Amino acid sequence: MTILLPPVKQRLAAGWLVLVVLAGLFAPSAVSPPDLANINQPPFQGGHWLGTTSQGLDVGVSLWQGARTLLLVSLPAAFFTLLAGAVLGGTAGYWGNTRLRITHFQLALALFALLLTGLLLTYFPRFAFWILAGVPAAAAVAWAFLPGSTRSATRLALPLDSSILGLIALVNSVPLLVLVVAAAAVQRPSLTGVVALLSATCWPTPARLMRAATLQCRTQPYVEAAQAAGIPSLRILWRHIGPNALPVLLVRFPLTVAVLISLETTLSFLGVGLPAEMPSWGRLLAAVRQAPPDWWLILWPGLAITLTVLSLQRISGSENRR
Amino acid sequence: MLGAVALRHILRTIVAAWLILSVLFLLSRSTADPDSQLRNMVESNSRMGGLLEQPATSQQLLHRYGLYEPLFYATWQPATGWHWHGVQTQYHRWLKQLLHGDLGYSYRLEAPVWDVVKQALRYTLPLTLLAAALSIALALGVATATSYRPSARRWFIRVAHILQSFPLFLLALGLLLLLANPDALSWFPAFGLGPADQESTGWSRPGLLLYQLTLPIISLVLGSFPALAIQLDGALRHEFNRPYIATARAKGSSPAGIVWRHALRNAVLPTVTLLTELLPSIVAGSVVVEVVFALPGMGRLLADAALNQDFPVLLGGVGLVAMVRLGAQLLADVLYPILDPRIRPEV
Repeated sequence: MTILLPPVKQRLAAGWLVLVVLAGLFAPSAVSPPDLANINQPPFQGGHWLGTTSQGLDVGVSLWQGARTLLLVSLPAAFFTLLAGAVLGGTAGYWGNTRLRITHFQLALALFALLLTGLLLTYFPRFAFWILAGVPAAAAVAWAFLPGSTRSATRLALPLDSSILGLIALVNSVPLLVLVVAAAAVQRPSLTGVVALLSATCWPTPARLMRAATLQCRTQPYVEAAQAAGIPSLRILWRHIGPNALPVLLVRFPLTVAVLISLETTLSFLGVGLPAEMPSWGRLLAAVRQAPPDWWLILWPGLAITLTVLSLQRISGSENRR
Repeated sequence: MLGAVALRHILRTIVAAWLILSVLFLLSRSTADPDSQLRNMVESNSRMGGLLEQPATSQQLLHRYGLYEPLFYATWQPATGWHWHGVQTQYHRWLKQLLHGDLGYSYRLEAPVWDVVKQALRYTLPLTLLAAALSIALALGVATATSYRPSARRWFIRVAHILQSFPLFLLALGLLLLLANPDALSWFPAFGLGPADQESTGWSRPGLLLYQLTLPIISLVLGSFPALAIQLDGALRHEFNRPYIATARAKGSSPAGIVWRHALRNAVLPTVTLLTELLPSIVAGSVVVEVVFALPGMGRLLADAALNQDFPVLLGGVGLVAMVRLGAQLLADVLYPILDPRIRPEV
């Protein structure tokens, strides 16, 4: 953006975001009982400054607690979205369709690890985390140390680029919102479920950016020099391409958070997002459907979402210019 | 050449739709065992409440919804290992029905999905088509009008960026609060269609329908035109630095003439690609907008189906949205050679 803004706006944006983070950190975790004597109360009256819903919930307290939910969902989801985008996009851009060649032994090892993971997951779903972490790690160790990885044999080229682009096309073939709503309907997601769902559906955009950036870096002389010096691929990716390609993603972090906040509040508004007992800004907005004349139910959460999204945009704009 | 591209797009979309629908179908059927699934279906349908106490009825219902068969062609049983079921499976039956154009039977509404969808499309088609047309017109108009007025352009870009960052339901709720509120301005109906309107079909009273669709259309347009306009504006600015614009200026064209006759023709090409996103995103937006304005359309149907886990309707809706995307893609394929003579096949 070429518009130069007075730094006051940047500071205001940063101030609001700090406020939201602080509110989220220090929100009371106990759910306050509904005040059934004062339902549908307009703001600035009685003990409820921001009014109450038709269920007697205090809007101010719900907003406060909703800030924590917002942080708990949007920050991890943005992190995982960008991580998945970076890994998949970097893989597609660096190795392309022909440059990762593996032996039959390695292919068999990978397939075996995949099968083992699947079988273990069906039998011991309770240890999902350890299985998902342990089996790939064991396979990686075997990959590195077993002979066969060094012995020259006929090698197969893995069409990584095409498969990842195909995956992107698959996820993009249905609009994001419809996909997320449909997937959320299959299993009512918990908090981690929403994070997983959002990151599993939002990664194509960062992946595409990362792929383009990696493709650009790959042709640079310093990468060729590193390859000629015999530095392993993963190290080249991490030490040589990463520092040049990753900033493309990092400047998008605030924007990704903003997109995820919009998606999450929309999900909660439609009633398919977080479980009903979790206070969230979207659910607060949805309460207006039971009581249409209650303007304060739209005004306060709407203002909070608007300010947050605009502040995130302002912040990311400032990083773009630098 | 064109035919090959279109064929590739058709094939790719169909494969993608099949994969997504299959994954959704298998997930929806496998996450719950038949009994609890049956209970879920019956609970959302008040007419059949309490019937599950009788085992015979339960069996009948299992048969009726086709839940007695194994789910997929092959299943893994811990005791016996892999088991091959042949074609007597839920998945096979569902796929065969789908290929025959039968979308199944709604659990909740007690009607074939296709009828439900047709009913809903009566409201959604005018809504989405009008919103799409207006978005395109508005994007074209604003981007071209501001392209030679720098100060207006700066404001418009800023507003477009702000609009783009809003969640759509917030825009719609804001409009509802401002323009359809008995306490503020009560210009438009707040909640969808009254009982009298629902009896008359959507087509017989177009004026009334249009009046009721005004606010939903405005929110959809506000939600979808900024992306188009920003892209078009960027392309126009890019074209303005090209030498042929200097030539056009030198020969004395008016600013509007330069934009419409020279720059736009080139600038619109990258925007056509966005068109493939526009229609599906408007359909997705109608999910939110129809819920906010309580319109009995396709989006509301999808949202309700998601809320009540009415999977046949949900799968039908997702498939339909994928088909909309295919249609938009084919439209773009047709538009490209019309707009750009360079990629027209030589006759």
